[in-house]
Amino acid sequence: MNKKRFVAALFTAVVFAVPAAAAEPVKIGVLLPFSGVYGGLGSDQERALGLGFDTFGRSVGGRDIALVKADTEAKPAVGLQKARELILRDRVDLLVGIVSSAVAGAVRDYVHNAGVPLFITNAGNDLLTGARCSPWIIRTSFSNSQIVRGMGPWLHGRGYRRAFLMAFDYSAGRQMMDAFRDSFTAAGGAIAGEEYPPLGQVQDFAPYLVKLKSAAPDVTFVFFAGPPAIKFAREYAAFGLSSDIPLAAAGWLTSALHIDRQGGEVDGVYSILNYVPSIANAENAAFQRAHQARFGRAGSEYGVAAYDTARLIVDALAAVGADLSDKRAFLRAVHGVSFNGPRGPFRIDPATNNIIQNIYISQVRKSARGGVTAEVLDVLPDMRDAAGGCRM
Amino acid sequence: MLKTVTRAPDVRDPLAAALVAAAAMAWLFTGDFGKEVLSEVAVFAIFAMSLDLLVGCAGLVSLGHAAFFALGAYAVAAFGVFVNLPMWMAMPLAVAVTAVAAAAAGFFAVRLGGVFFIMMTLAIGQMVYAFFLNSRAFNADDGMAGIGRVDFSFLALDSGEPAVFSAFAVCAAVAVFLLLRMVARSPFGHTLAALRRNEPRLRSLGCPVLRCKLAAFTLAGALAGFAGALAAQHNGFISPDLAFWTVSGEVLVMVIVGGMGSLSGAALGAALVILLRHHLAGLTEFWVFYLGVLFVLMVLFAEGGVAGMLSRLPRKLHRRGGNV
Repeated sequence: MNKKRFVAALFTAVVFAVPAAAAEPVKIGVLLPFSGVYGGLGSDQERALGLGFDTFGRSVGGRDIALVKADTEAKPAVGLQKARELILRDRVDLLVGIVSSAVAGAVRDYVHNAGVPLFITNAGNDLLTGARCSPWIIRTSFSNSQIVRGMGPWLHGRGYRRAFLMAFDYSAGRQMMDAFRDSFTAAGGAIAGEEYPPLGQVQDFAPYLVKLKSAAPDVTFVFFAGPPAIKFAREYAAFGLSSDIPLAAAGWLTSALHIDRQGGEVDGVYSILNYVPSIANAENAAFQRAHQARFGRAGSEYGVAAYDTARLIVDALAAVGADLSDKRAFLRAVHGVSFNGPRGPFRIDPATNNIIQNIYISQVRKSARGGVTAEVLDVLPDMRDAAGGCRM
Repeated sequence: MLKTVTRAPDVRDPLAAALVAAAAMAWLFTGDFGKEVLSEVAVFAIFAMSLDLLVGCAGLVSLGHAAFFALGAYAVAAFGVFVNLPMWMAMPLAVAVTAVAAAAAGFFAVRLGGVFFIMMTLAIGQMVYAFFLNSRAFNADDGMAGIGRVDFSFLALDSGEPAVFSAFAVCAAVAVFLLLRMVARSPFGHTLAALRRNEPRLRSLGCPVLRCKLAAFTLAGALAGFAGALAAQHNGFISPDLAFWTVSGEVLVMVIVGGMGSLSGAALGAALVILLRHHLAGLTEFWVFYLGVLFVLMVLFAEGGVAGMLSRLPRKLHRRGGNV
């Protein structure tokens, strides 16, 4: 009897001890678009995320980090379905990613109710860390207004008094222009005109550029990203506007992903963004060197956010000994992390869960080697969003 | 003619019973994720059955049925989010709104036949899509979030639980099935079937053909709106994509794969397409391609869809048994 009981106990101990000894990996769901219009940005972020975990640690506190990829196709409904799959079926501990703000808006309630920490690596809608903020949703990229808010006073300080605004007619475009308009008029500037072409339907910016020319502003401020950005900058130069009316832009106009192809068309453009590859610090040099070595091209502002997210997660996991049984303790650890990254000092604002970071104003110049680069003119340190209706 | 009506043995009701049993098994033996998929299947089963009333019963092939699905979803969201009505009131109102919209759209569409009807419904669908895509009040392409669910707290149940909501969705699908079966077996349903087989003859007999088609179009639209209202609650989020023509195409695929003219077949088609999508998407990025191949094979070799295949099964077995 005793022997039997001993064997049974031994058996039970072995059965239950084996899985406990080989610690479960920390499962991280990666929600990015790998197909569709944002497919390029998604794979750029995915690579940089992998680079980040390779650099800062593939295992923490005895637990490996396992990534589970899911393609959001940049469609809100698909993104929500994938988030649900990752949380319920794959039982991920954390979520990382999301390029499109529409997808972020779609998954927000689900993630909030499920209580799974989500690290947003791109989507910039102000509401995500404003009125619709959540204790479970942390943003390591930027908020739309955080990027452009510094540009109004800066341009005014350079003697520009009348600005013309242009962006596509959707929430990101509107939020950027609202933030710029507020900051520019508060500094004493005036708005010469505004145009909002419909998103995804513009073949040709000529009609809008004609209106811009007739408004005769001192400076133009725009937000365009991706292929339309290349097109807009080209047409702006082709219209002969760039010599008379300086062009200032949210920095995606001359993104590191495509500035090589834009060349002289963007010479002289002022840009404001949270990252340019030319930032001079040791962390950025290391990031660019590793990125160039592994992928054969410069790391972009999209990649750097994913790269920093990997470091944030590794540091926060280390702080709780990779124990995620108390998710709130993990979130407190996230708020406690701060480091110098490629973008400069990095930390998360506990009041909004948005990143606090430097914003860089730069100008595109022809470099000695023949290409063009964005050279940093000014740094706006530790840009932090107002709570903006966020109550957690 | 009468002989074909009394043709026995009909496997379609056993199929419905089998589907309900499968749903019950899924509800009992799967985890939360399985129950989420079950809710999705139930919602799309309602959507597909509503389209089957048009396509399978009346022979009206619509490529814009997603318009009413989206309208139902947006209406329930508007009543819930803007007016703050409880879902018990928002749902019937949303169905009513969709019915009115379907009647208005149908007024123009049912006058056309064949390919012109298809093009008209396609155009209506894309109009609804474009409207929501550009409407600032409905948050344009960002979509609307924060849509609640029906409140079961009087039964001490939390509809936020996948178990509760999936049970509710399956019950709703069964109710819609019973309603549509009643319609199909009524004189009105027989008129629709006759309309599909020989419209000129029915017209010459003095039947108000247009009115019948309009009634079918309105009922199908209202039920698609009901499915949309459920989908909005299930996801808590809606976007203009719901009205896009590919959604109409997908539900048509469900009806054709499952078996046109069979309500339980349409429900089976919805289940097959959704389960395949979940499983194929996990296996390969090119799942849409494989789904397409399957669809082509079904159309070429399985007339009447899966339900048709099943209905031929007993006869085959019987014949084989007879030979022995």
